[in-house]
Amino acid sequence: MLQAELLEAVLKRALAGGADFAEVYAERSRKRQMVVRSGRLEDALSGLDYGAGIRLFFGTEVVYAYTNDLTKEGLLEALETLLKAKGTLGKVDERGMGGLDFRKGAPKGLHAPKVPYGEKDKRYRLERLLEAESGARIAPEIRQVEASLLEWEQEVLIANTEGVLAEERRVRTRLFVLAVAQDGAEVQTGYAGPGKSVGLELFDLYPPKAVGEKAARQALTNLRAKPAPAGTFPVVVGPGFGGVLFHEAVGHLLETTSVAKKASVLSDKLGERIAGPAVTYIDDGTLPHAWGSTEVDDEGRPTERTVLIEGGVLKAYMVDRLGHLQTGYPMTGSGRRQDYTFAPTSRMRNTFIAPGDKKPEELFEGIEFGLYAKEMGGGQVKPGSGEYNFAVQEGYIIRKGRIEEPVRGAMLVGKGPETLMRVVAVADDWENAPGMCGSLSGAVPVEVGQPHVLVSEIVVGGRA
Amino acid sequence: MTLEEAKGYVLRRAREMGLEAELLFVENRELSLRAQGGKLEELKEARQGGVGLRVVAGGRVGYAYTEELSQEALDWALEEARENALLSAKEGRIPPGRPLGSHDLLGEGLSAPLEAKRQAALSLEKALREDPRVRAVLMGGYMEREVRLALESTQGAQGAYRTGLAGLMGSFVMGEGESLKQGWDAQFGKEFHALDPGRTALELREKTARLLGARPLRTGRYRAYLEPKAMASLLMILAQAFSGKMAREGKSRLLGRLGERIASELVTLIDDPTLEKGLLSRPFDAEGTPARPTVVVEKGVFKTFLHNSETARALGQENTGHARRGYRGPLGVGPSNLYLAPGGDLKLTDGVVITEFMGLHAGANPVSLDFSLQALGLWVEEGEVRHAVENFAVAGNLLELLQAVEGVGSDLDWVLMDAAYGSPTVAVAELSFAGA
Repeated sequence: MLQAELLEAVLKRALAGGADFAEVYAERSRKRQMVVRSGRLEDALSGLDYGAGIRLFFGTEVVYAYTNDLTKEGLLEALETLLKAKGTLGKVDERGMGGLDFRKGAPKGLHAPKVPYGEKDKRYRLERLLEAESGARIAPEIRQVEASLLEWEQEVLIANTEGVLAEERRVRTRLFVLAVAQDGAEVQTGYAGPGKSVGLELFDLYPPKAVGEKAARQALTNLRAKPAPAGTFPVVVGPGFGGVLFHEAVGHLLETTSVAKKASVLSDKLGERIAGPAVTYIDDGTLPHAWGSTEVDDEGRPTERTVLIEGGVLKAYMVDRLGHLQTGYPMTGSGRRQDYTFAPTSRMRNTFIAPGDKKPEELFEGIEFGLYAKEMGGGQVKPGSGEYNFAVQEGYIIRKGRIEEPVRGAMLVGKGPETLMRVVAVADDWENAPGMCGSLSGAVPVEVGQPHVLVSEIVVGGRA
Repeated sequence: MTLEEAKGYVLRRAREMGLEAELLFVENRELSLRAQGGKLEELKEARQGGVGLRVVAGGRVGYAYTEELSQEALDWALEEARENALLSAKEGRIPPGRPLGSHDLLGEGLSAPLEAKRQAALSLEKALREDPRVRAVLMGGYMEREVRLALESTQGAQGAYRTGLAGLMGSFVMGEGESLKQGWDAQFGKEFHALDPGRTALELREKTARLLGARPLRTGRYRAYLEPKAMASLLMILAQAFSGKMAREGKSRLLGRLGERIASELVTLIDDPTLEKGLLSRPFDAEGTPARPTVVVEKGVFKTFLHNSETARALGQENTGHARRGYRGPLGVGPSNLYLAPGGDLKLTDGVVITEFMGLHAGANPVSLDFSLQALGLWVEEGEVRHAVENFAVAGNLLELLQAVEGVGSDLDWVLMDAAYGSPTVAVAELSFAGA
């Protein structure tokens, strides 16, 4: 994308301007989106994102600029704007004099697609979407189905004044089905949205018909579901996207973005017990072909597997370069950003609770009355108070240890650290699911995951 | 190529290829300054732009965009758009257009030296710390955005405008004993000089401080007073039910209910893209339809969906000029400045004041309009706020909520999300609360 000489010129100019560290992140992303409704392709969109971000550190002060002009003049102009803002324009620091010795990292292709986009035409994709749609047409109550395909091919280049020169091509594909079920005035929805760091083999991993059917079944379940009860109950959270609970309640509190400023309730707690002993929580950016995996992070560091909590004890935070400067904790390859318009911050990759030793059915035994949160929607957290919320997309009442009638509209609310201590059992059936996580550095693809998990009590927001 | 050169090239090529084409050119400039611990922590200065294409080939619609303005990239975008159109089943056309003029909705609003803006961020951050209960300040910040947009089509549309806004934002943690609350809020305006960091900091602190010492709320049904920003955030979800696009796709519960009473007669909802100082006012929409105010709900009666030319035609209704399209996306529908018209005096009697809803993207369903949302609030008894309440969720359906409105205040305030949403405080006869 950019020549080493050009990168060197920009980076050296930044050092000459007094920066302690400089980084160029360049990106070219091709995206395609196709949306099928009522058996017809309705929206078809292709796009090319193209830009670069320049980040400079002056101590721990960060200045960042981005531009779509990736010529030498364009990049230098963006840089001069920053130096001018810092009041160091025209300054010549001797650090800008020496040469830069780039250590070029060669991508290993760990997550490379098996069926590249170029291998199939658009009609092939359309046929798969039509299969997904027809898969959802399982009952007359299914009134509307929307099946969409997202293709995302991101080429990134990261170079910095420490000699890092990393390039990676990241290919991600996601199929998403929304089913709307209606009975009289009652309208309910169901979703399914598998996504991986793969090419069009996604359709082999997740046959479109089955994905459509899953969305439709959920919509129908919600249609006959009663409003969820309101109150405080034991909750069994299902595997896969159920992991979003801990993503919100715990994961975000372990990012140096808030930890460094003591703005997380879990700051300064390394080595302390913060969760029930059944909890081991891992953030792994290396899982092959996972939705949140990359070979290098958006700061050019190899991604890692980071054990955050082991047996209930806090072992590590997720640390980006700035977080490392601020806290001294070692970097964990967790610097991520949505695209070139964001400076990176510490973010989750694929975060999950490791499997425990119980059988899933053992978790339900002994629950007199509770909620089974089988599938989750999204959620949100305030790291400073630990208050979180997340929506149950498909839920059931547990009565005397048995899963009984479906309920809808349940919202789980609480405080992360309290909920963590209330995890009393973890099953052995681990599963991950993809999502988009929004935070300071934009929306990034992540996986969340867990086995079945029993929390002794959570406030369930339903209808009183 | 420059954006100007790219414009000429794409229009000429589109005509040569026999395409009807509509081009949206956008140039954004962004400046943000974040302060922390008395120092500037992050400065961001950026320009971003691109060209978005909507083309019609064989009577069908296709889209593409590019930020790279090389001839190769522009050719790629044109070819992809044509290919997308030929594969698509969506019939459409580029509406006939006309010269729309060149408008400046920003003027000198952001004209101030960088140093003054830096000081605004620093003084906000400093002022946030001036309270012993503030345990940490994540940031005090200033941001501004300037947008230049040009629309041109092979069918004669040609217009441009410049707009923008400025804002202050703060994020901090307050504590009293064991009780911790995080404040996050922003204030936006059209002019840098109208921003007041000291006052904003004071307001943010007061709004968060009153939530300290919160007690659990007993599960039950209570009267609710939704503060302006809380109610305005619900309007974002509700706006989807007013969308002609959602209606056309069978995803609005209001389909077939035009002219019906859907809300209390105290409720009047207006979208006004011509609002003076409106955060997202615009002279014309993304298809070049001139802007005008639209009354969506009048005294409880549902008057119209929000439409673009495509959804209006599909539903056989009048185009309200609400086409929305970023250069990166397909044609949609969206409000500009959507607000609930202020009423009169509103007195608290008893119930729960809801100061903030959280988790709207997950906890509110834009199709069914069911919601179950974590909220923060205050317990009111005998006309007085007694204490804060926490760890609870509020559930219901937005249409039921609109029906149950029994009072509308006069304290209109705005939140900025995908559009600007405004509301005064609203009293709702009864909502379901889940807590301890």
